[in-house]
Amino acid sequence: MDVVLADRLQFAFTIMFHYLFPIGTMGIAPFIAFYMLRAVRGKDAEAAKAARFWTKIFAVNFAAGVVTGIPMEFQFGTNWALFSREAGSVIGQPLVMEGVYAFFLESVFLGVLLYGAERVSSALHAASAVLVWLGSWLSGFFIVAADAWMQHPVGYVLAPGGRIELQSISAVLLNPFAWWQYLHVLCGAIVAGGFIVAGVGAYYLLAGRDESIARRFVVAGTLTAFIFSALVIYPSGDRNSADVTADQPVKLAAMEGLFHSTNGAPLAIIGMPDTRAKQLIDPIFVPDFLSFLAYGNFRAGVKGLTAYAAELWPPVELTYYAYHVMVGLGTIFLAVTALCALLIRRGRLFTSRWLLWLLMLLMPLPYIANEAGWTVTEVGRQPWIVYGLMRTAQGPSPNVVAGEAIFTLIGFLGMYFLLGALFLYLTLRAIAGGPEETPA
Amino acid sequence: MSVAAFIVIGMMLTAYVLLDGYDLGVAALTPLVARTDHQRAASMSSIGPFWNGNEVWLIAAGGALFALFPAAYAVSFSGFYLPFTIVLWLLIFRGIAMEVRNHFPSRVWHDFWDFAFSGSSTLLILLLGIALGNLLRGLPLSPQGYFLGTFVYLLNPYAILVGLLAVAALAQHGAAFLALRISGPPGKRALALLGVLWWIVLVLYAIVTAATALERGFFAHVPTWTAVMPVISLGTLLWMRSASHAGRERAAFAASCGFLASLLAAAAGTMFPYLLPSFPASRGGLSIYDASPSATALVTALTATIVGLVVVVAYTAAIARRMAQKIVVGED
Repeated sequence: MDVVLADRLQFAFTIMFHYLFPIGTMGIAPFIAFYMLRAVRGKDAEAAKAARFWTKIFAVNFAAGVVTGIPMEFQFGTNWALFSREAGSVIGQPLVMEGVYAFFLESVFLGVLLYGAERVSSALHAASAVLVWLGSWLSGFFIVAADAWMQHPVGYVLAPGGRIELQSISAVLLNPFAWWQYLHVLCGAIVAGGFIVAGVGAYYLLAGRDESIARRFVVAGTLTAFIFSALVIYPSGDRNSADVTADQPVKLAAMEGLFHSTNGAPLAIIGMPDTRAKQLIDPIFVPDFLSFLAYGNFRAGVKGLTAYAAELWPPVELTYYAYHVMVGLGTIFLAVTALCALLIRRGRLFTSRWLLWLLMLLMPLPYIANEAGWTVTEVGRQPWIVYGLMRTAQGPSPNVVAGEAIFTLIGFLGMYFLLGALFLYLTLRAIAGGPEETPA
Repeated sequence: MSVAAFIVIGMMLTAYVLLDGYDLGVAALTPLVARTDHQRAASMSSIGPFWNGNEVWLIAAGGALFALFPAAYAVSFSGFYLPFTIVLWLLIFRGIAMEVRNHFPSRVWHDFWDFAFSGSSTLLILLLGIALGNLLRGLPLSPQGYFLGTFVYLLNPYAILVGLLAVAALAQHGAAFLALRISGPPGKRALALLGVLWWIVLVLYAIVTAATALERGFFAHVPTWTAVMPVISLGTLLWMRSASHAGRERAAFAASCGFLASLLAAAAGTMFPYLLPSFPASRGGLSIYDASPSATALVTALTATIVGLVVVVAYTAAIARRMAQKIVVGED
């Protein structure tokens, strides 16, 4: 096998598995802080139980996130040595900042949150919930800043010999590409957090237990998911797309399955890309709408894939489907949560059992939407590892062969299968135990 | 500036060894000090709130190496592909064991994860020690600094000796921590083990010091301050002996910290200015000057790291004081 493919498979598998957990931590952290503050300020005993319950779930996510996160950082060195060597001057910066500014904060104060109830004051205990929240969101920012630099490199100079050297850290951290991407990622994680909280509440209501606290979960979860399902589309998704349209037009063409440059380009709702015949099979189009979304003008010209040399195309099928899955799910989330918000106003949500069933069953889908979104970003970046500067094929370690990468990939598959099974067991057990269970 | 970066990374790795070192040591010793299920749970809970934060030092040091010496980061991680990946697997396995142990009320379940936890932790210490041993001895390197040997090559007698010293020294560190943080029979056993481990550490330390002098040539190309380190190492060892005999557990743990720090400082002095010294030593190696990025990148990453770490140390210390608690354990 080609070593580039082996390295990419390992990175794709380990990063996609790892990202499941930051979705959980970034999405659940604000709920913990919210319940914790309610508990301290309002002497709200039920909120204290809610905070303790979600902290338990958070902790499992965090531990899995840590142990699967370490291989991510190390993999830049083990499998992508040339990339690290050429671009480490820039890409190392946000990564060291993540460790020093975010990761310590999150892990030290999670220790306080988990074990500190009897050891520290209630004010510090509540503050630690806020700091864990801050840490998890900061961590996300630094990682997105690193990725955004690979999407849209700024603040660098090319040294003699072609090495990429940092010129301005503020340019890297204030990369306009990073900020919309970060807000989009964050909104996506909060939607997932909202669906988790609502889904667990829906489960309790359907099971006829813990009903008072479960109602609070359903209301808090669905309303949060409703607000952020809207924000994930506009402005964050829309602005993120505008950045892609401006900086990575070939990625946009692959996402939309647009093969030929068109004035008044249609938006494909569904359809299967045929890269040989260069067309969509069985498509449903909204006429002129892609031009409007991309440029705010129904007659604007949008460049298609064939405007670029085929070697500059990202893998079209994967980019296209990942994008459509993300957008399709995002639309469903908005519709379902809007309906929930309406029924909450009318006081009929808790009697609509079919909707509670739906909320419970929808829980995994925000994960798929988040993963699909990252797939668009990263697969759509190909064939570049640093957009326009360095090809992915130039990045792997020169002294590591495909056989080694496949060997470790198999090891990670086995290890993560075990981890995944235990994670599910622990999470389901915590949910089954419920908010009334005293912590072990 | 490269020298400052070398010192910062050295200090971060030292912090990692002092902090994660005690929880690795506690893990390695748990089967020896804790006889009952309840005692083992207590032994693990002495590190429960801290191990995650301690492990972040390794992640942060890895990040700092990436930013401050990208070339060294690239060639060392890819050069030691398999050993590094095995270290990662052990770290993952250890984390899993720590997290899942108490979540299923079964003796068999507990026994398995206790074994996994102690085993993976001990193996981790050994592997990290072997890695350090190879860095001290030097490695066959290509002109770009890539490692040319195999995994088996890394298992040379000298490196294994350093690995054994690492296991003994961190077990001692863990025993000092347990004696400080746990009462009852496990605490007493930890104190007794501390006495035994002390002799093992002393003997291994003497052998490793002599072997290092033989491998590297007697104090050739070593900064003069490095020569002071053995004095500090021996001094802290003696201090630990008297403190543990006098029942001053806090002082014994502090002495263990001092001992480990002096060992690592001596190791850093032996390597300086190389990040990856070559074997044989006359060939130089990948030095901090070869591996640095531009001055801008170096200053940026150094500033960010130092400012951040000052804050981290401040709140970690404040929290550790509030969270520290002696765990009371009943009889066997």
